[in-house]
Amino acid sequence: MTETSAEVFLLDPTAESSPVMMPRLKRPASIEGMTIGLLDIAKQRGDVFLDRLDERLTTNGFKVERFAKPRFSIVAPDALKQEMQSRVQVVIEGLAD
Amino acid sequence: MHDIKDLESRGILAVGVATTEFVQAAAVQNGFLGYDPAVVFVQHPIQDRTDDEIRALADIAFDEIMAKLQDKP
Amino acid sequence: MLETAERAAAAPLNLPADGLVAVVKRDCPTCVLVAPLIKELSDRGVPITVYSQDDPSFPDGLSGVRYDDDLGSSFGLNIEFVPTVIRMEAGREAERIFGWSRAQWQALTGIPDLGKTLPDMRPACGSKTTDPGMQARLKVRFSQTGLASRRIPVPREIDPLELVHERGWSDGLPLVPPTEERVMLMLEGTARDPKEVVGLMPPNRVECTVEKIAINAVMAGCKPEYLPVVITAVEAALIPEFGLHGVLATTNAVAPVIMVNGPIAKGIGMNSKGNVLGQGFRANATIGRALQLVVRNVGGGRPQEVDRAVFGNPGKYTFCFAEDEDDGIWPTYAEERGFKRGTSTVTLFPGDGNTPIIDHISREPEGLVQSYAGCLRSLYNPGQINDVSAFILVSPEHAQVFYDAGWSKQRVKDELYARLKLRRDEILEGRQGIGSMKPEDLTDPNRLFPKFRTGSLNLARAGGSAGKYSAIISGLGSITINPCIKEVRL
Repeated sequence: MTETSAEVFLLDPTAESSPVMMPRLKRPASIEGMTIGLLDIAKQRGDVFLDRLDERLTTNGFKVERFAKPRFSIVAPDALKQEMQSRVQVVIEGLAD
Repeated sequence: MHDIKDLESRGILAVGVATTEFVQAAAVQNGFLGYDPAVVFVQHPIQDRTDDEIRALADIAFDEIMAKLQDKP
Repeated sequence: MLETAERAAAAPLNLPADGLVAVVKRDCPTCVLVAPLIKELSDRGVPITVYSQDDPSFPDGLSGVRYDDDLGSSFGLNIEFVPTVIRMEAGREAERIFGWSRAQWQALTGIPDLGKTLPDMRPACGSKTTDPGMQARLKVRFSQTGLASRRIPVPREIDPLELVHERGWSDGLPLVPPTEERVMLMLEGTARDPKEVVGLMPPNRVECTVEKIAINAVMAGCKPEYLPVVITAVEAALIPEFGLHGVLATTNAVAPVIMVNGPIAKGIGMNSKGNVLGQGFRANATIGRALQLVVRNVGGGRPQEVDRAVFGNPGKYTFCFAEDEDDGIWPTYAEERGFKRGTSTVTLFPGDGNTPIIDHISREPEGLVQSYAGCLRSLYNPGQINDVSAFILVSPEHAQVFYDAGWSKQRVKDELYARLKLRRDEILEGRQGIGSMKPEDLTDPNRLFPKFRTGSLNLARAGGSAGKYSAIISGLGSITINPCIKEVRL
């Protein structure tokens, strides 16, 4: 991102060891033992894709929980996100096409 | 991408899966969000594929998804 | 107040190579006095470029006045007073005068009868560039802040108040977004160079500059005049004997507690009286918070990461107060540490909360110290000795009991020490500091051990005027974690 896309700048209060672009959550060495949520964004045929991921995850010993947005092209409602927050440690969201 | 960012702000490791059609759009939106979410891209298109073809795409994506959730030494 | 992306280059002034430049404002009686002379100079054909800071039609009747409404030209010319007249020669400034002095104006213009009806002298007024906060604003606008910290863009779709949380800068409460302008204003609170490295901030041992402290002080909500206290608190925290790394990384609940002594405490409105450890006082609230934000953001000390606190305590948001020095009967803590009264100091000690002592009954000091000792005895564990410290904040009504009996502060401490000794069989296993004991000590059932190491039981005066309470701020106290004090440098 270039600075011109922003209108306001803040001075960094940190030691500046992280990139300007906010980094994603730090990944653990392994997600073994975590419960994984599959979030269906409600696009057609996405369920086939997620079903297959479900199979692969289950085969690999993960506990899988399924979630779905009420319809695509909306931000997931708070209630849905809270539900995921209380039940899973990992979310795979798909399939955007 | 909003969802991925929000879920990670809640402490949930999140990865999005999108087709290659979204490579450009995702980059632009990330600029607006100031955030670089984990995204795995699969080959467009999806809608006209057979179930087996989609499952094959999922198998291809699976390892990359796992790689984007873990920081294996 | 938020900085915009548009950053003006210092405006090209486009001045004639030879001639006069005058800078005036209508809101200045001396400018009003000399305005007709400026018009007269122009009418006489003297090449004069006139900047007006506040009114494009001033001086009256003069055409071609440059309206310096953004003060860019005044800033570029480094104008401090108005009226200022500069004589340019071959493209360079040859001479500059300000205010009205007939002799100086006549000499500068070379016109011997200039202003002969005016009084001899009139003082200059302040340029609008010296209005409060204006220097900071102008330096930001013209990219002359000299700040080293990187600028983080706030994406269009994001509220700056949300971004500070998303970036992980916050303790959980809202923060003031640290714009360059706010940081520049904050830095006006100290004479120190923003680049000065105060020390290495644990746990990541990162160089902590005055500038980084100022940014975090902005976020905490400090006023610029608090900054010297914040910087001193950081310095005190970095004294090795304070053991900041241990204080922040421990599983114990402790936070650094800040106690301020000396005239700066009252000067910046710190509370030392009613609700001294509570809410409602900006200096107390924000100075303590600023230190915690520096630890978090510069040092990288965050809960559930390096900070392994099992419980923590609300003081980890902010824990800061001033000692009440008003009655002047006991020496202050700072005086006990060798500082003269009238010196401003910042003391840091580890504290994990406030344990109240309630004694409404004792009218004699013996009864009161008995109550204190009972409460102190139970700190951490009734069988704990060493590795525990306490600051007792003695309220005015309790202090009066000691004063009336003529007890010095040291006497109170001695009486407490005498009552805070444990027998071998009362001491918690593993808490007896075995290394320092002789074998016979361990077997002698009558041998007594002090609960507090020397220097780890302290008294200070604070609190509201009515009510027979005192307060114990308990905390870790060990060979590596000690109260540390530092004089405030402005």
